[in-house]
Order: sequence, then structure tokens, then C-alpha cells
Amino acid sequence: MDEFQEILQDFLVESFELVEKLDEDLIELESNPEDLELLNGIFRVAHTIKGASSFLNFDVLTHLTHHMEDVLNKARHGELVITPDIMDVILESIDLMKALLETIRDTGADAGIDVSECVVRLDKISGGDGNVETPVAVAEPQEEVQEEAAEETVEDEDELDYENMSPEEIEAEIERLLTQRQEEDRKKREAKIAAGEKVPSLDSDSTSEEPKEEKKEPEAAKPAPTPAPTQPAPAKAKSQAKKEEPKAAAPTKRSSASNVEQTIRVDVKRLDHLMNLIGELVLAKNRLIKINDDVEERYEGEEFLEELNQVVSIVSIVTTDLQIAVMKTRMLPIGKVFNKFPRMIRDLSRELNKKIELEISGEDTELDKSIVEEIGDPLVHIIRNSCDHGIEEPEVRLAAGKPETGTIKLKAYNEGNHIIIQVDDDGKGLDAEALKAKALEKGLISEKEADGMSEKEAFLLIMRPGFSTAAKVTNVSGRGVGMDVVKTNIEKVNGIIEVDSVKGKGSSMKLKIPLTLAIIQALLVGVQEENYAIPLASVLETVRISKDEIYTVEGRSVMRLREDVLSLVHIGDIFEVERILDTSEHAYVVVLGLGTSKLGLIVDTLVGQEEIVIKSLGDYLKGVDGIAGATIRGDGGVTLIVDVVALMDIARGVKSTVMMEAEAGAAKTNEKNSPSDYTVMIVDDSSTDRMIMRKALEPMGITLVEASDGQEALHILKSGDHNFDAMLIDIEMPRMDGYSLASEIKKYNRYKNLPLIAVTSRSSKSDRMRGVESGMVEYITKPYSADYLSSVVQRNIKFKSEFMS
Amino acid sequence: MSDKLKEVINQQAQKQQADTLDQSDDIVQLVGFMIGDEEYAVPILAIQEIIKPFEWTRVPQVPNYVLGVFNLRGSVIPLIDLRVKFGLQQKKQTDETRFIVLKKNDEVAGFVIDRLTMALRIKKDNIGPAPDTVNGDETMIEGVGKQEDRIITILKVDKLLERDF
Repeated sequence: MDEFQEILQDFLVESFELVEKLDEDLIELESNPEDLELLNGIFRVAHTIKGASSFLNFDVLTHLTHHMEDVLNKARHGELVITPDIMDVILESIDLMKALLETIRDTGADAGIDVSECVVRLDKISGGDGNVETPVAVAEPQEEVQEEAAEETVEDEDELDYENMSPEEIEAEIERLLTQRQEEDRKKREAKIAAGEKVPSLDSDSTSEEPKEEKKEPEAAKPAPTPAPTQPAPAKAKSQAKKEEPKAAAPTKRSSASNVEQTIRVDVKRLDHLMNLIGELVLAKNRLIKINDDVEERYEGEEFLEELNQVVSIVSIVTTDLQIAVMKTRMLPIGKVFNKFPRMIRDLSRELNKKIELEISGEDTELDKSIVEEIGDPLVHIIRNSCDHGIEEPEVRLAAGKPETGTIKLKAYNEGNHIIIQVDDDGKGLDAEALKAKALEKGLISEKEADGMSEKEAFLLIMRPGFSTAAKVTNVSGRGVGMDVVKTNIEKVNGIIEVDSVKGKGSSMKLKIPLTLAIIQALLVGVQEENYAIPLASVLETVRISKDEIYTVEGRSVMRLREDVLSLVHIGDIFEVERILDTSEHAYVVVLGLGTSKLGLIVDTLVGQEEIVIKSLGDYLKGVDGIAGATIRGDGGVTLIVDVVALMDIARGVKSTVMMEAEAGAAKTNEKNSPSDYTVMIVDDSSTDRMIMRKALEPMGITLVEASDGQEALHILKSGDHNFDAMLIDIEMPRMDGYSLASEIKKYNRYKNLPLIAVTSRSSKSDRMRGVESGMVEYITKPYSADYLSSVVQRNIKFKSEFMS
Repeated sequence: MSDKLKEVINQQAQKQQADTLDQSDDIVQLVGFMIGDEEYAVPILAIQEIIKPFEWTRVPQVPNYVLGVFNLRGSVIPLIDLRVKFGLQQKKQTDETRFIVLKKNDEVAGFVIDRLTMALRIKKDNIGPAPDTVNGDETMIEGVGKQEDRIITILKVDKLLERDF
């Protein structure tokens, strides 16, 4: 049983592959009906499937393919010209074949699908046209063929309930089938001979290969009118099958002997495992490089360094090559996806009454298997869309001075680490204004958004869910779902979509997709102590700006980037990074691009570019907004990978605070449960003055910390040991005076809201002004009363009334 | 020589048998640890390993008890602070702080605990149900183990490993 299953699996895999190819070949055949080689190829496929399915006892499938084969055989021998109508029937039978194969895959049997109708039609073609071409066969064979078809239809129904039959019945049935089969074979032989005479070149081929069989054949077949003897018939049938194969194979051998590829089927799981191992290796390589750098620094000039360097570079080169090699094993030509489109276009153009031609190029371009699986659906939607909305009716096209037949170009090519799949049509193109109007009407965008939209942004509206410009919903499209699917699927594989169009001339859709999913190039950025990895595919550029270049418009930060206004968001606002030090005058902006939408991400530092291996965060943490995964760095640390798509969504919601980011710091002040939870720093160079202040504040029960000058105060503040609620600052101090201290402190975002209270003997108005400028909130002049000081402090630290004694 | 070997093997087999007897159903093996002032325990079989603390990476937009993720020999594993999860203040890590890596099915996570106590063997009879005051199915408490003069709260591993945000 297991063995059977194994064979069955192989059969299914092979058959699906063959059928896929059939589709493609048949479409090509339609435009090029004289191509004998192509026909032979198609015939061979049908034959192979027939042979295998009869071996595996899938009678319905055998039956269907058998009749298909008849038609194809006729065509092959030039007795039949493939017209579109005939092609329709053939394609229909291929669809049935696919359905049967699927049923077999799912249920293990080929029951449940009625093929009789299709078979009858196939027979009509093979019988009818054959008649015209070969009058020798007269009317008799035609009749018989039809009879046979009818008979077999009945037989099909019988086949369905073999399981319910008693052994005797089955015996009888077998007997009946056997005679029938013999009869069939006899007829086929007749046809064969007739055909053989017509195409001697093919026959001579087979004669040379199997001369014995060939000799026997005519012998048995010559007395055609008399029924063939029962005994040798099965053997003949076999010999015939054998004979057909070399005959069919011969032309390919001639034409494509050089193309014969040696392949081996490998379980995808094994490849995945291999890929995982490579991932580990890449991590180890990164680590090795880092260690090498460290060692280099420490033992500069030592001899062994050179050797170490060599080894490290060899390891890293080999690792990279290995990675590429393994990646290649997972690569499939994109042709695998493209194959189904000629058929689709053909069906669509018939359905829509349009004339459409499909030009495919670059089908050899290779992509990771997992991505190939993801882009099939999006492409279907895009192409349907082009057919339905893009290409106009033939009359409209002629009126517009275009050729009657519309062209859709489907091409794939490599661009760096990406593959570009482009779908161009020469249809009516997109109308940006109409799109905006429609989106407004559907409430997808606001009027303001519409006004600010560039043409390219307007084109992207078609990707929004629920958007459709189609006046009516057709069978093909117009429900406003398809393009949304495109967007989600492409984004799932970290791809980018670009839409371009010239009204009246056509439109073009570009999908930019990374070659592989597991290992990517990333830009590492730093914010405070943390690092994040941004997929390089989404990074357009990085710029260094000074903080004055950031403007605030309607509560959002923006900057001018050449001609455009770029909205900005701080990575720290998105990832809730606590910002303590923010002294630098400059910031780096990473310009992220996703389609036409752009966003400037402000970061503190740019760390560099690195090849990273994407690891999932696991079930516990999956779905964290803005995080796509994690990677392990050379130093063994974990770095999170930014999910650019999600990040752009979040950024829309973040009321940007690049300028007023202190809130977070202030909110951090801990819950106060007792007076001693309040901490106040006293900064004064005179110990007497400090003592006076301490005496005035001690009764409140708050914690007091002293510093003797600005430098020391700053040091204490930075150490972070205390969480200060206020500072009392003397103005005149050595090393650093009160004003400079205040402005230093205010540079730290975290302390922007820390109340600074000046305590000084300077009382002139200009001194007070200076105090305010440097960020002081209160100005107490010496001498003061203890009560006054404590009340000012209480007010500024928001001392809870229940603690007052 | 071979006789001796056989003897040794026999002895080992007997010992193992004795062990299995000990481990029979009515005894539960646990590892005890402190969080704050209370002692907790988890079944020893749920523990993948216990490691000394090392660096982790903060993950944004998660509850405060999720400290982040760390690298355990190539796997990225979430780290959860049980102090914070149990409503205590976070505190600085000491020499005694450990990460307990728990595993159930494919779920793995590290948990920060204050201090390990000891491996325990508690008879099933000595394990009482979780107190009624703890809310129903949502409880993280598997039961309460009594041993000599101590009371140990036994935690449900699958509840600990379950994402609850």
C-alpha cells in the first residue's frame, strides 16, 4: 500500500507539472498551429498521463486522456486543423483533467466527475474531421467511434460503483471490458496504419527502434475487416503503447537533446532545514568578523593577524557563496507563475470580447519558492484588472487610433537584490482626478488629503480596500477586493508596488520583490542605547540634518527634502524609547519609502549596513506593532527588525513630538507615597547657605541632596541615582554658575520639566530675565524666610497636601 | 571482566528501577524559587534550563513585565519579569538572580526570579488546590504544596507561557 502511495504521489506531482505545461503549449499552438514539434510535445503529455493513469487504474482519467490523445494524434498527423473551437474543447478536457487529478489527490480515486460530455465532443472532432481527410475509412469507423463513446459513457457510470459489485459481476465486467478494449485497439491500429502511411518519416523512426513489433503490427492489422484474434490482442495493445513512446520521443530527442537537465526531487523541508543552518552560519560569520576586528585592534602589528585575517575572509566568502548556492536551490523560475497567464488572457479576451495579446519576457528569472507561491494571486488580479479596466474594446481602440489588439506585457528582471515584475498595458490608463473623485465619494480619503495628493499617490488609491471605479461589477473584476489582495500579498513578502500611468496611453504596475525572505540586508540605526534594523529595501536614503531644519506643522514634524516636504517621526516615539541624553545639534533622518509614500525616521546614529538573518519573535511576542522580527548580531545581542509597513501606519497616529518630547520624561516621576519620596537638590557653593536651606526644608520630610557647584550638580543629576523633583540653584558659583547649569540641564529632554528655582542675592530685573531665559521657573532673593522657601518648593514639586504637617 | 560489567549494569538497572519507583505518580518533583518574600515552584520537567542573567533587548509596546527578548544559543526567546508580573516593584538584579527557561510544547520563555531555593519532592497528597479566592480558570496557581514548615505555591507552566495581552 505504501509503495502504491509513493507511486501515486510521483504520478500526481508529474501530472500536475505536465498539465501546467500543456496549458501553455496549447495556447502557443493556437497561434502557431503548424508547429509539429509543439504538437508532438502536447501529444506526449497526454499520452504519458494516459499511460500512467491506466497503470494506476484511474479509469475515468484514462478514458478522458485517451480521447484527447485521439484528437491530438489526428492533428499531429495533419488530418485535423486546430481551430479555436476545437481548442476550446481541448482546453475544456484539460480542465477536466486537472479536476480529476485534484480529486485523485484529495480522495485517492478519480470518481465523481462526469467526463462523458467532453469525451463525446472530443470524439466528434476526431471522428468528424478524420472522416474528411481519410475517405478510405468510410463512414463505418465514424459510427463506431460514436457508438463506442456512448458505450463508454455508460461504462463510466458502471465504473463508479465497482465496489458494490459482487465478484462474479466484476468478473463479467472485466470480460466485457477486455473485449471492448481489444476492439478499440484494433480500431486504433487501423487509424495508426492510416496515419503511418501519411507520415512516413515518423514511422521510419520507430521502425528502426522496434523493428520486431513493427513487423507484427501490419500482419495483425492487415485483415482489418475481420476481428482480431482474441489472444494476442492484449499483447498488441502493449506493443502499441511501447511503439508510440519512442515515436513521440523521437522529435524531442532531435530538437532538445542539449536541454536535457539532470534533476533530482528534494523535499522542501530539507531545503528549509538547510536554509536554517545557513542562517546560523551567517550569524557565526558575523560574529567571527567582529571578533577579528577586536583582535586586530588589540594585537596590532602581530604576525598571526595576517593569517587570521585570511581565514576570516575565506570563511566569510565561502559562507556568502554557500548562502547564495543554497538560496539558488530554493529558486524557481518565475515562468512557473507566468505559465498560466496565456490561458487566462485567452479566456478573458473571449469573455470580454476584447482582443488582447500577452507578451511575456524574462520568465527564466528566478525567485525563492516561498515568494513564487505568494505572487501568483496578486499577478492574477493585476492582469485581470488590466484586461478588464485597462484594455478598451476593439472599436474604442480603433477610434483612438490604436491597434485593434491590446497588448499586455508581462516581464520579470533582476535589479540588484530584487526582482522586478512589471505588467504594462497599452489601454486607457488611469485618471488621477477620477480616482480621487471616486475615493472621495466612497469616503476613503478626505477632501484635504485629495488636494495634497500627487498623481502617483492617487494611482495607489486603487490598492485601497473597497475601491473600484468599475461602473458595474463584472464576472472579472469590479468588486474592489482584488488590488487590495495584491497590496497585502506583496507587502507580506516585503515587496513594494509602484503604479505609473499616462492617461490614454496605458498603465504600468511594478512589483519590487526581494529575492529571499530569510536573509536580508539591513540598515542598523541607533537610538539612545538601543539598535534597530531597518530592511534596506525600504530605505531610500539617509540625510543628516540640524535640528533647526525640523518644522512643526499642525502638531507634526516635517522637514524640507529638496522639493518635497517630508513628514518626520522619531523612532523613539514609536518604540517608546526613554530619551535621556539629547545634546546633539544634529539628527539623522532615514527616508523610508513604500510605494509612493515616504516617511522620515529620525534616529540618533547610523550604525551601518549588515546582512541579517530574520528570526521570529515566537508566539508569545508575535504581532508586536512595528516589529517584524529579530536578529542575532555579531556580539550575540538581539536586535529588533523594524516592520516598515506597520511603522508607517503607526507614524500616522503618532502626534509627533520631536520638539516637545519632554512629556514622557515628566510622566515618569514615580508615585509619591511619603514625603521622603520627594527629592530636591540644593546647589550652592556656600555650606552655610546650604545649611539654611536644609533647615528650612527639613521639616517637610523630603529627601535633600547637596551639591557645591554646577559641575557637581550636573554629575549627580546624570548619575541617575536620584529622581529629582526640583532644584534650588545659587547663581554665583565657581566652575559653573547657576545660569549655565540651568541651560545645561535643560538640554536633557528628561529634565525639561524639572523645576529650577534660583536662590540668589542678585535681584536686578536683568538678572531675573536671564534666569528665565536659562530655564528657571522661580526666583527667590536672599534673604528669605524659611516658610517662604518651603512654600515655593512645595508648590513646585506638587507636594501632596496629605503630607503637610 | 564481562561478569563485572554485567554486575555493574545490573546494579544500575536496579537503581534506576528504585528511582522510577520513587518518581511514581504520587511524588512531584519541583524546583523552588523566591519572588519577593514568597516561595514558588514549577515542575522540574517543564524547565529547559536555568541560567545566570545576561543582556536582553527591550521590545516596545508590550506590558511592563515583558522585559524583552534574549539570545539563547541562537534562538530569540522572550524574557518575563515575574516580580512585575506578580505586582511587585522591579528591582536591580543581584548575584542570586536567575533566568528560568520554561518549555511546554513549542512555547519557550525565560522568567526572571529573585533566587533559587531548592529542588523539591512533594507527595501529591501534600498538594492542596489553589485557594478559592484566586479567580477561577484564570489563575496561574496549580496548587499549594506543603512541606515541613513551608508553604510553596506551585505555578501552572502553560499559564505562564500563555500570552495574556
